[in-house]
Amino acid sequence: MTTGLTKNDIASTRLIVGLEIHVELSTRSKMFTRAANPACPEFENAEPNTLVDPLVAALPGSLPVMNRRAVEMSAMVGMALGCSIAEHAKWDRKNYAYPDLPKGYQISQYDLPLCFDGAIDIPSASPGADGGMRRIGITRAHLEEDTGKLSHELPGGIRYSGSLVDLNRAGTPLLEIVTEPDFDCAEDVVTFARELRSLCRFLGVTEGVMQKGHMRFEPNINLVIDTTDGREFRTPVVEIKNLNSFRAVDGAIRHETERQLDEFLSTGRVMGMGMKQTRGWDDERLVTVLQREKEDAHDYRYFPDPDLVPVEMDEAWKGRIRESIPELPIARRSRYREEFGLPEKDAFALIDDQGLCRFFERTVDAQLAATNPPSLREAGHESAKLLLNQMAKRANESGIVAHEIGITAEQVGELLALRRSGEIPTQAIDRLLKLASESPLSVVALAEANDLLVVRDEGAIEGWLAEAVVAQPKAAEDVRNGKDAALGRLVGAVMKASGGQADAKDVRDRLLAMLRD
Amino acid sequence: MTTPSTDPNSSSFFDPGDDLTTRVQSVRDGKTTTSLRLESMLTAAESTNPSLHAFHEVLTDFARATAASVDARLAAGEDPGPLAGSVIAVKDNICTTEGRTTCGSRMLENYRSPFDATVITRLLDAGATLIGKTNMDEFAMGSSTETCAWGPVRNPHGINRVPGGSSGGSAVAVAAGIADAALGSDTGGSIRQPAAFCGCVGFKPTYGRISRFGLVAFGSSLDQIGPLTRSVRDAAAIYEVLAGVDSNDATTSDLPVEPSMADGPFDPASLRVGIPREHYTTRNHPGVTERLERIIDSLRAVGATIIDIDLPLTDYGISTYYVIAPAEASSNLSRYDGIRYGYRADPRPGEGLEELYARTRSEGFGPEVQRRIMLGTYVLSAGYYGAYYKRALQVRRLIKQEFDAAFTKCDVLLGPTSPHPAFQIGAKLEPISMYLNDVYTVNANIAGIPAISIPGGMVEENGEALPIGLQLQAPAFHETSLLRIASTIESLVRSA
Repeated sequence: MTTGLTKNDIASTRLIVGLEIHVELSTRSKMFTRAANPACPEFENAEPNTLVDPLVAALPGSLPVMNRRAVEMSAMVGMALGCSIAEHAKWDRKNYAYPDLPKGYQISQYDLPLCFDGAIDIPSASPGADGGMRRIGITRAHLEEDTGKLSHELPGGIRYSGSLVDLNRAGTPLLEIVTEPDFDCAEDVVTFARELRSLCRFLGVTEGVMQKGHMRFEPNINLVIDTTDGREFRTPVVEIKNLNSFRAVDGAIRHETERQLDEFLSTGRVMGMGMKQTRGWDDERLVTVLQREKEDAHDYRYFPDPDLVPVEMDEAWKGRIRESIPELPIARRSRYREEFGLPEKDAFALIDDQGLCRFFERTVDAQLAATNPPSLREAGHESAKLLLNQMAKRANESGIVAHEIGITAEQVGELLALRRSGEIPTQAIDRLLKLASESPLSVVALAEANDLLVVRDEGAIEGWLAEAVVAQPKAAEDVRNGKDAALGRLVGAVMKASGGQADAKDVRDRLLAMLRD
Repeated sequence: MTTPSTDPNSSSFFDPGDDLTTRVQSVRDGKTTTSLRLESMLTAAESTNPSLHAFHEVLTDFARATAASVDARLAAGEDPGPLAGSVIAVKDNICTTEGRTTCGSRMLENYRSPFDATVITRLLDAGATLIGKTNMDEFAMGSSTETCAWGPVRNPHGINRVPGGSSGGSAVAVAAGIADAALGSDTGGSIRQPAAFCGCVGFKPTYGRISRFGLVAFGSSLDQIGPLTRSVRDAAAIYEVLAGVDSNDATTSDLPVEPSMADGPFDPASLRVGIPREHYTTRNHPGVTERLERIIDSLRAVGATIIDIDLPLTDYGISTYYVIAPAEASSNLSRYDGIRYGYRADPRPGEGLEELYARTRSEGFGPEVQRRIMLGTYVLSAGYYGAYYKRALQVRRLIKQEFDAAFTKCDVLLGPTSPHPAFQIGAKLEPISMYLNDVYTVNANIAGIPAISIPGGMVEENGEALPIGLQLQAPAFHETSLLRIASTIESLVRSA
């Protein structure tokens, strides 16, 4: 069947995307047994089939016992996404046969999920967004167990003709979050995905390493097509499985947008005709590829798991979980922007890592607690710059994060205070960072011991200034005539003469005062 | 050692002075030893197994080692636990690191469990000696032990009759004196009905009282482990060892387990016995009806209050059960795919995964197991779930409510365990007539309440004297009063 339509007959198309996200929780043990969880960093490099116990291997007589920590982590994420948390949730069996599913069923939550009816606001690129923000509804978030892995390669990448089963991942707690179909552009889906990753990492519920499959995204995509003669068509919903990078999410949605329009024009297939299609993403060719048509839509024969008791989450338990939730990334970023005047990019960078974020806030506190404290804005701004520039650079060289270089929050506070009062020259900062990261002494003591304090001898400074002006009459003349570029040469001369103990900014100010007034 | 007689005029009752409780005491008193007792039982096992077929595997070496160690500890003045000196048989669907755990199925013919069930650990910790694994209906699906892949078990009271099932091997081990007691599992009557057919006591505690960890699952919301014994006080003694919360089974209750017999038998004068009208129908064997009437008369005579109770949902039990149990079984048994352990069909060239699964399961499971897997898969499938599974859960709730209402009027319900005594091997091969064996027992599983079958005397059929069982049911977690009442009625029945 063809539509007889061409691209010229299309007045507009609108994209509709809903997202399912699988988050592997980083609990120490698995969802329903004591076997270690490979999504916990301590066990991620375990040899195949070593994180296996009788339950994981589905031996006769084994029984599941719920991991309370995984339930708490899930409720935490649900709360952060504005969801209601069920007082009564239960466990259901989803039955299907596959070699990576030893029990022949997956324990999941079918009709009574732990979290439901939430929403979060994200900055939106969509022209239709209200005030640059868009609300994304969260349909539900439920907890289940991950499956094992099938592969056709031996360790070391050697091809194997049969199928190999690794049960390490089987039973890892998996939080499945389902959004409403509230997205209308790929950018927003990616923004949401990043936001969710940041949130989950900040809450400490997952390592969130995309390449390791800690977060997997599955968009459901279709198009509303309006023709120039006023008709509206909806293309069949396509589900893209297992995307594990933001680039793939973006690429798959963009490709689907075009592919679905082309397919509609050539086949006329609309929603309701045929079964839901499942496609995968080809990362090399940058196209989605058909995996299966759900002709025989799986009948999972869900029923309540008789081996487990329902989860009864009373107000006291919910209250304890709620109290343990820190200020969340979105709110925290907007506070950083307002209180410290930080650009969005810097705020995001500080908050992406919970450890860095906590450290940053301690450096602000340290500054505010000192005698002669700076303003809140100043303290935050300067701390952020130091952490994200000089300290990050130093950390990068050793492959660590800025707050891990060995310097304490108090030392950062002292360093910034010295810098602010002009007692140390700008160029001494790197040196002091290095010294402080290797010593518990105060930064003042370190600066003194290493002759890094600014020389306060007025006579000496005035002498160096005069010498420089005399030595470089052309530069001095240029500065007098308003050419700021020439200042550098004079400042350089003074710094050289001072042996680095003058403060460059102070020298610059003095030169300007001397030559311009 | 007592061997039951097949003389129709003899009593079906064990000598009340000769049960596990007294035997354990005689070992403690130094009158005999565990090892001596074990040897005579090993001999009995060897001589009877060709005819009765109670055991699939006798754990000779392990039992001898345990017995020797128990005796040594006793000799050293230590206390190896309340069951020291006893010899206990274990149904083959309870995981033991010793020997195999086959569930009476070709599927698990060579399966060895790497862990012990919680009940096994508790028995061993209590000083029991485990003699072997008893035959059973395949995956506990049956009421006659005829579906056992290793061949049928025979009833010592009538060699051509079934012992009941699915814990038939366990009942025979006790009835034939090859063990002081045995563990069984009861999903719809699988402890009580064989106990009734073989003349022993069979006790199914409240769901959640005894850990199912290590019990190979059949119908997980119905399965419960319990003892088969020579007396009610033996059942109480073993129950107290097995019961109590287990961190490996989320469905176990943390209610405290009280010593059941501490206060002795129940005073019959204060006893309110409920007689469910629906358990006294023309479907019962005339001998069963007659025995029950005499027992009720003697209860009246000792001052008990007899109360008529209506349980109109009784007859819905079987239909409800045959939706819920197969539904759970279809899911529980899907792990037997031949990939990681158990039977696997010989792969054929070019055969796909689905075909290998299908052949493995067709060859590894017997017909009754396959029937129930198909039944369970059907009732859970889209389009039928509402009409069958969901409806069954609704009826299940009504059955619970019916019991709740009944127990506001009486302490205990009394009726026959089975409508008839043991039937001939091969007599009930048509599934529905086989399923109807459990008409009086399934509802206790559906409601999760405790129930016990105690010997009710003998009835005659075709010139054979056959034992029948009396079933007593009590409210959930009322094991203590149930066992005390059962003990009272146990003595009463002997003279009735």
